[in-house]
Amino acid sequence: MKNKAPFILLTPGLILLIVFMFLPLVTIIWPTFYDGKLTFGSYLSFFQDNYNLSVFWRTLRVSLIVTLICILLGVPTAYYIARTSKKWRGLMMAMSLFPLLTNSVIRSFAWINILGTNGVINDFLMKLGIITEPIKMLYTDSAIVVGSVYLFLPLMIITLVGVIENIDLEMVEAAETLGANRLTAFMKVVLPLSLPGIIVGSILVFSGTLSAYTTPQLLGGNQNMMLSTFLYQNAMTLGNWQSAGVIALIMIVTTIIVMKLFNMIAAKFDKRGGEHA
Amino acid sequence: MTYVDLKDIRVSYDGKNNILKDLNLSIEKGELVSLLGPSGCGKTTTLRVIAGLIEPNDGDFVVDNKNLTRVPVHKRNFGMVFQSYALFPHLTVKENVGFGLKLRKEDKTTMNPKIQDILEVTGLAELGDRYPKQLSGGQRQRVALARALVIEPKLLLLDEPLSNLDAKLRVQMRIEIKRIQRKLGITSVFVTHDQEECFSISDRVAVMNNGIIEQFDTPEEIYNRPKTEFVARFIGFENFFNLTKQGEKTYTTSEGHMLKTSQSWDDTKLVATIRPDDINILPKGTEQDTNMIPGKVVVRTFLGKSYQYEVETNVGKILVNGPKETAYSSGEELLLQFPEEKLILV
Ligand SMILES: Nc1ncnc2c1ncn2[C@@H]1O[C@H](COP(=O)(O)OP(=O)(O)O)[C@@H](O)[C@H]1O
Ligand SMILES: [Mg+2]
Repeated sequence: MKNKAPFILLTPGLILLIVFMFLPLVTIIWPTFYDGKLTFGSYLSFFQDNYNLSVFWRTLRVSLIVTLICILLGVPTAYYIARTSKKWRGLMMAMSLFPLLTNSVIRSFAWINILGTNGVINDFLMKLGIITEPIKMLYTDSAIVVGSVYLFLPLMIITLVGVIENIDLEMVEAAETLGANRLTAFMKVVLPLSLPGIIVGSILVFSGTLSAYTTPQLLGGNQNMMLSTFLYQNAMTLGNWQSAGVIALIMIVTTIIVMKLFNMIAAKFDKRGGEHA
Repeated sequence: MTYVDLKDIRVSYDGKNNILKDLNLSIEKGELVSLLGPSGCGKTTTLRVIAGLIEPNDGDFVVDNKNLTRVPVHKRNFGMVFQSYALFPHLTVKENVGFGLKLRKEDKTTMNPKIQDILEVTGLAELGDRYPKQLSGGQRQRVALARALVIEPKLLLLDEPLSNLDAKLRVQMRIEIKRIQRKLGITSVFVTHDQEECFSISDRVAVMNNGIIEQFDTPEEIYNRPKTEFVARFIGFENFFNLTKQGEKTYTTSEGHMLKTSQSWDDTKLVATIRPDDINILPKGTEQDTNMIPGKVVVRTFLGKSYQYEVETNVGKILVNGPKETAYSSGEELLLQFPEEKLILV
């Protein structure tokens, strides 16, 4: 009877989760399958529409590109932070977390100021005479990518610093005594051992980018919808809760599938067995 | 002929305190030299300077007449066994051992036999496909050794390689290391703070204290004739007292007891030392002679194979080990006899 106690402790949280999270989700998603009888019609017709498909692929593409860029920028940065003395590490962590501390609307407006037609970059390039017409940077997929990388890179970095800090520096030194230069030692030892962190970080960044609303809304505009902005438009502007429910489930399923894929890739590279994300 | 030469090596981590203070050490080809000393005396630092993981602030490091002071680690071709073993957890035993060969771009046909050979020498032939996590402590130790040896290093460096093993395995592995080192004739530097381990494995021992080498000699010489008080204390001499020189091989204590030695010592050495085992206990009534000092038992401790007495004398407290057949009780008076040939001056 003793071993029931931990389960009892779970109940308040479980009730909260069921009432406030699971039930609303069911009430939104259930109607998308039920139209007098059980049907997948809503989903089939979603994927038959070219515009819907373009939004779906853009979302997937942008989220994957953001994830990739966060890996490429995050791994070396995290390695550097993890290897500096304790004294500086705190400061550098705080600096890389800074984007998370500001409000996402303010953050996006900052990027509008930088990327816009009369923004800092266009201004600068025109003054230098490198371009005569402003380049369109705002309201593009690239703008969403830039804004999202800025937003989610910190998550990748914190995750990775934690993992890399725990890699025994002597392993890198062992690789060096065996003939590896700094870069080779990094590639052959640090990188494979950071893999669990890269996977966790990637899942955070990917699902974050996929579900973020403010950044794609303000930097992508209405011509460059992502699933999240599309969902909002359907629900709030068009009042079409049926479509919104369809998009919501597609977002959830996509996230789960991509998470599974990340884990499969990790398992393929990391044969230590049994011990990752 | 000197093969490895450390000349006036100075290392400071913070720019203020010198961790190594103009350290000198010359090692001959094929020799196994131990660095022995208490924790924090700079053994690991010395080994890391040799490996190239630390660049010394001053001094030169020469191997085979080539100055390697500024040559980076990965170009030195020294094998190193770390205290933590530092095996690569994501690679199998074979891949761990082959790591260095692969970096040397050796092809499979020359690489595989080398790996197989070294796995056999180190008794790992059956375990090639396991991951480090699936090995016992002793087996991991062997993998670390095999990985360092397979690259045919000019030098083998071992940093307290046995300290994570239990006592029985430690003895077994040190014999093993010695055997392999002999077989391959590889010049080696072995760091340890365990004197028995060190004496059993080394051709020569460098006793370190506080960033310098206090004595560099064969194990026998260090055991029998420690040159400084620090070395003597570190290898088990417990009793120290001041002497005044009266003539060749003749000294007196502060209270005027005469002590003779069998060797002659230079005039700077005026502290006598002797191991607790080497002092003889004589009953109180014995006729007083040279090399005898009277005392009174303060504490008696049973050590299993003998009794240890703390004896109060007029040169201070003296520790003596006596046979367990005769037990003196505390408060009892007796005579301590210091054999001439066992009395060392430092
Ligand atoms: N990376 C380092 N930074 C600053 N001080 C260090 C560092 N490594 C070692 N030390 C100091 O140098 C001294 C010698 O250390 P070490 O060579 O590791 O000694 P040993 O191996 O003999 O125990 C110690 O006082 C230690 O605190
Ligand atoms: Mg050490």
